[in-house]
Amino acid sequence: MLGSVPTTPKALQDYEPLIGGERIDEIRELAAPLAGARVLHINATAFGGGVAEILGSLVPLMNDLGLQADWQVMKGSEEFFRVTKAMHNALQGMLIDWTPHLREVWLDNNLLNAQLFDEDYDFVVVHDPQPAAILGFVAEVRGHHPAGHWLWRCHIDLTLAQVQVWDALRPHLEGYDAAIFTLADYVKEDLGGPRTFVVPPAIDPLSSKNADLPADVLRGILDRYGIDPTKPLMVQVSRFDPWKDPLGVIDAYRAIKPELPDLHLVLIASMAHDDPEGWAWYERTVRRAGDDYDIHILSNLNGVGNVEVNAFQRAADVVIQKSVREGFGLVVSEAFWKERPVVAGNVGGIPLQIVNGKTGYLVNTVEECAQRVLSLLRNPRKARKMGRAGREFVRDNFLITRYLRDYLRIFQELKGIEPQRWEGAATRAQV
Amino acid sequence: MYGTLAIAPKSIRDFAPLISEDDLAELYRLARPLRGLRVLNLSVTAFGTGVAELLSASVPLLTNLGLDCQWQVVRAGEEYTPVNRAMYMALGGRYVLWSHEMAEMWQRYSAMNADLFTSGFDVAVIHDPQPAGIRSFVDEGRRAATRWVMHCHLDISSAQEDVWLLLRQHIEPYDAIVFEAEGFAPADMRSRGIEVIQPAIDPTGPRSMDLSPEAIATFTERYGIDARRPLLCQLSPLDESCDPLGAIDVHYRAKQEVPDLQLLLVATVVPEEPLARASFDEVARKAMEYTDVFVLSSLNGVGNVEMNAFQRAADVVLQRDLRRGFGLWISDALWKERPVVAAPRTGVLEQVVDGDTGFLAEGTEDFARRVVELLKDRGLAARLGAAGRRRVRERFLITRYLSDYLRLLGRLTGVST
Repeated sequence: MLGSVPTTPKALQDYEPLIGGERIDEIRELAAPLAGARVLHINATAFGGGVAEILGSLVPLMNDLGLQADWQVMKGSEEFFRVTKAMHNALQGMLIDWTPHLREVWLDNNLLNAQLFDEDYDFVVVHDPQPAAILGFVAEVRGHHPAGHWLWRCHIDLTLAQVQVWDALRPHLEGYDAAIFTLADYVKEDLGGPRTFVVPPAIDPLSSKNADLPADVLRGILDRYGIDPTKPLMVQVSRFDPWKDPLGVIDAYRAIKPELPDLHLVLIASMAHDDPEGWAWYERTVRRAGDDYDIHILSNLNGVGNVEVNAFQRAADVVIQKSVREGFGLVVSEAFWKERPVVAGNVGGIPLQIVNGKTGYLVNTVEECAQRVLSLLRNPRKARKMGRAGREFVRDNFLITRYLRDYLRIFQELKGIEPQRWEGAATRAQV
Repeated sequence: MYGTLAIAPKSIRDFAPLISEDDLAELYRLARPLRGLRVLNLSVTAFGTGVAELLSASVPLLTNLGLDCQWQVVRAGEEYTPVNRAMYMALGGRYVLWSHEMAEMWQRYSAMNADLFTSGFDVAVIHDPQPAGIRSFVDEGRRAATRWVMHCHLDISSAQEDVWLLLRQHIEPYDAIVFEAEGFAPADMRSRGIEVIQPAIDPTGPRSMDLSPEAIATFTERYGIDARRPLLCQLSPLDESCDPLGAIDVHYRAKQEVPDLQLLLVATVVPEEPLARASFDEVARKAMEYTDVFVLSSLNGVGNVEMNAFQRAADVVLQRDLRRGFGLWISDALWKERPVVAAPRTGVLEQVVDGDTGFLAEGTEDFARRVVELLKDRGLAARLGAAGRRRVRERFLITRYLSDYLRLLGRLTGVST
């Protein structure tokens, strides 16, 4: 038994005003034959990161539907988490020195967790590479594939994965019944064994990051950080690193500023305490901002949490996500849900979330970005219209309820329950 | 019992090449009658602060001199951290909201720590005022069996009134209260014995020990500093008390005459909690994207050895202002024979003798003029540097600090030394 993560109960019913009764009914129908099914999610961390955020919503919703879902966090030494961080980076395309020692640390810790695994489930969803080898060891310890269906849920982009690291991981995935990827492009062709599915991530519209905010709370937050809501505002929420291009955002702002002297820019990042590289980029960003205090640079270290991010996104006239490389970029959907038009880099999962010219703009350069932002700021009616269209697009495609539905469908399919009429956006692509 | 720290042993003998034979003999003479004296040092932190640095040198050296010296750290829960920080800031004269709840928590932790106080010490030295309340909560019997010293490493002359009023009643009954400079005590404080012991550097410690030119070059290169071009360095907290923004002005002004001049600002306080972060932001924004201005801190991996290397690599060391504290890092620089240009403030005036071990300056023009003068006249810079090292050798080495301490301990315990 690993450590269970307590979650706050959620009721599917609460989502009805947002997605309508028909979709709620569809989800309930999908869940009915799965009532009582024991579901276990295993990942590496209870806090921080998109995976923990999604599980915090998904697990209680499954329970609300009559499944018995649990979320457990694997155990591991400090060294293990250092190793898996390197592994994670390597699988996303960074080159690391993959030594036999690293492999051993990863496997030893997986073995340890397999030995603690002493129950049976109908579905075990193993998230990301850190705990991926647990299945093989459980089978080895027991002498057979454990009962139930095992799913490997990959949240990262493996297209540029370092070959040795992928080669080390792959054999441990072959025993899985299913592998779920974020985008069809991320599916690894050479992964034999599991059936593959595609489930893009989603946002929880009722979480503190996305739920409606009372006007006085919103005003209070803007006041506290010295943002004047009557002046035009650009906002980007993302880490300070070369891939999110915060310097490019400042350059775009600077290009527009002469036309709109009132313009403000808010850059928000979440900073880790032990991340010298993140710190170096923070410094570069602050220094590029220089003595222009209409550029506000904020982070968790200034007390900016989910509610504050929510408020700044709502206050924005245009939300920017000027990534030059991106995983999925779910922050785009967060902005749309708040009816903000988005101008974002044409990379990763962003093009999936933006209907170019209708809900926002895909851009490749600083000049393009500045041009698009300026046109939206000069044409508030168009901006409003795009924001509204964005919200509808997210409602149809990127809410946690759709994500929940996809999981239920996969569970049904694995159990061999006759699939019903399936419809919807690019949420499933059998390979 | 508090957490006792295991400390690497040190030997007084290692200082023989650095100080005179007379001074060495004097130390042994002072220590002889105090052999076996049981001394407890109690501090809030075990590392990362000036107090911790001082204790990690003085405790093993006093032990080496035959005293039974221990260093323990008070127990504190996470909830206490903000209270301690607020008190620290209030003592330094930076306004904080000091609530009734905070005062209560401070008392609760003082009482809790008093219960952990083990008897059997002849002298208890409480470092800094935050844990000074412990003495009041120790029961009468054990309290009377011990001499109590409060060693204040802060300038609390402009402490916030409500915080000082709370502390005052607990501090005044101490047998001795030690400050780093006369002016650092609150004007209305009454005490049986106010002592002044100036702080000191450990020349064998990571911040002052000798480094090879190769090591220095490695450290500077790692951060992109060009060793062939002149370097100006200020090592201090980045808040307004040391005016790092003014240091940038000085660099900008001096650069007009020495175009390839670089400036390195090293934060001695981690820019992590909100106020320190805001100070960092202000400095970074002012520095803009001038590639000749470097702003570094422990968040870039800069520790004591790196600071040591940076000071050694500097052609001139700046101290644009010093509105709080002694500024012991100036002695670190003088020990490395670096010429210093500093604003005339309490701690500076002890260390920098104008025209002899450095220059005193006020205002951007004045600072820039002295900096340029030193950059252009290497002979002058060398002379000031050499005199600076002499001054530190005479007045700011840990051995002088130890002899001050031994005299104090002798007086307190009635042993004539």
